[in-house]
Amino acid sequence: MKIQAYSTASLSEAIVAFGQFCRSHGLNVGVQETQDALNAARHDVLVYRPIFKNALRAIFCTSPEEQKRYDRLFSLYWDTNPIDLQPDRKNKIAVTGTLQKKNTAALVLLGQGKSNPDEEEEAKNVSGANASERLRKTDFSKIREIDARELEILADRLFKEMALRLRRRMKNRQINGQIHLQRTIRRSLSLGGEPIKLSFKGQKPKRQRLIVLLDVSGSMDKYSFFLLRFVCALRDRFRQSEAFIFSTSLVRITHLLDTKLLNLALINLAQQADNWSSGTKIGTCLETFYDSYGKQTLNGSPVVIILSDGLDTGSPALLHSVMTKIQRKARKVIWLNPLKGMQGYTPTARGMSAALPLVDDFKSAHNLESLLELETILSNV
Amino acid sequence: MVQNPQAIIEALNDYNYVADEELATALFLLLKLRKPILLEGPPGVGKTEIAAVLAAWLETDLIRLQCYEGLDLNAAVYEWNYQKQILLLKSAEANHEKMAESEIFSDKFLLKRPLLQAILHPKAPVLLIDEIDRSDEEFEAFLLELLSAFQITIPEIGTIKATHRPYVILTSNRTRELSDALKRRCLYHWIDYPDLDKEMSIVQMKLPDIESELLEQTVAFVQTLRSRKLAKTPGVSETIDWAESLMALGYRRVTAQALHQTLGCVLKTVEDISIVKEENAGLME
Repeated sequence: MKIQAYSTASLSEAIVAFGQFCRSHGLNVGVQETQDALNAARHDVLVYRPIFKNALRAIFCTSPEEQKRYDRLFSLYWDTNPIDLQPDRKNKIAVTGTLQKKNTAALVLLGQGKSNPDEEEEAKNVSGANASERLRKTDFSKIREIDARELEILADRLFKEMALRLRRRMKNRQINGQIHLQRTIRRSLSLGGEPIKLSFKGQKPKRQRLIVLLDVSGSMDKYSFFLLRFVCALRDRFRQSEAFIFSTSLVRITHLLDTKLLNLALINLAQQADNWSSGTKIGTCLETFYDSYGKQTLNGSPVVIILSDGLDTGSPALLHSVMTKIQRKARKVIWLNPLKGMQGYTPTARGMSAALPLVDDFKSAHNLESLLELETILSNV
Repeated sequence: MVQNPQAIIEALNDYNYVADEELATALFLLLKLRKPILLEGPPGVGKTEIAAVLAAWLETDLIRLQCYEGLDLNAAVYEWNYQKQILLLKSAEANHEKMAESEIFSDKFLLKRPLLQAILHPKAPVLLIDEIDRSDEEFEAFLLELLSAFQITIPEIGTIKATHRPYVILTSNRTRELSDALKRRCLYHWIDYPDLDKEMSIVQMKLPDIESELLEQTVAFVQTLRSRKLAKTPGVSETIDWAESLMALGYRRVTAQALHQTLGCVLKTVEDISIVKEENAGLME
């Protein structure tokens, strides 16, 4: 919608059309904002263009990023120069279009039909009575195609149950503190006015913030996939969740934490994953996280979960210093390393050993069962 | 009444506050549309101060609500003075008197906290809600309700409507994203660190006796510090404090010794101070 200002009849019309123009380019301009703009215009503030521009900026924008976009839109609309706006697509994961095939994200990520006989053997070797037991213990990277859908359903169910348990635990925990005067008086009504039964002010349980940083390079994407669904299920439990993925660079995916969007996004991710080189720069990516998003996210002592195999192609010293900075601001740092699920693994890789001393909990999260074990850690936070 | 934003810039100048056109326009809209304004920006750039200056200029009171996590209705709006109520009830009982409910829940037992004070004020006050990003979502939701209708309901008394709509200024350090609904309810202005000229005029205004050489050196130095990646970037208030300390210590120029003595006024973490000290060991003389 590129109506130029000169093509409208009156100034009011031009302002309303400008509001619509901004809305079509992503600014949150509703009826109220347009109304305020028209009110402002009545105060003879239009006489000078910079004042008019500033006034509408104060009304239409809600952040410095929006202000920059607004400035461009303003000159585009009110000048008679039809320049095309280049959409900014760097570092944004856009959820593109509809899928032709009805793939579940699980199937695509776990390698459609790529299972070979050796892997199948390993999968069978897990001892367990019934199928779901077996599924819970199977390593994510070794799931067979036929089990993928079942695993997804099982995972969703178990995560929901866990979220419910955590919520219940929160409500029941009441520590005796100060006397709650109103409730005590109320209770004393039935006892003739004498405060025999005392009520206490329970401590309001503080909800935590959660930050999740996921390594999606190489084979890590399968583990990240399940961990992301885990985080989605727990979204209500945490006050604010932020999610990032990294491999050679860091990308923020918090806005995709809605489960419906997540599936589409992960399928896109899987298709792009082949483009990423195999070397992971954990230290650099974490540093990008700290510099770009640290001020906004590392407040209020969040719980930080990092999922990575610790194989860093960058310098261990950098990883160590960034982890120190993060650890200082976080309530708890949990490092999940799927390699830990393998027998005989010791964290000797340079990256992993540099980061390990700064980690509060070092877990594996290589199969459903180990993910569910996180529940204990998270509920004690 | 105020005619245009330029008048606001001049008026604020009289109160030693340097405002640019953008901020003045936003304040102009605050006065005309009576919409609340949200000021966001890094710490130390004068977000809180503008409220005090505005109150002084409009010759009205400043009512301040400092937000923190866990801020609730009792601390923000009102609370009943339970202790006093119970004492009076007990003493009435002892004297075999009866106390009517309307007497128990009367004005003398109502502790008015900032938000209630603001709407009951005889003259429209400036209501400063400071660091709203430190409060939680529940408080934000409540605030949204208040800012739309400017009335408060106390169950025992009824609904109290505002006598005069206060001028509401919210500030935020952007430590978290505020809810969209709240942001859209307000006018928005981002106050960034000032550039060299603006900062010099700000410091000059606050410290009229400062010598020009000292002024130039201090402001230039802080400007270069801001371009670096520091743990805590210094704001304008730090520049002013530093200049004032240097003047108090009798320095007329920024020497290496002066820097060594007073760097703590500008930089507030050990790492930042040690990095800068190392770099400037041989430079300043």
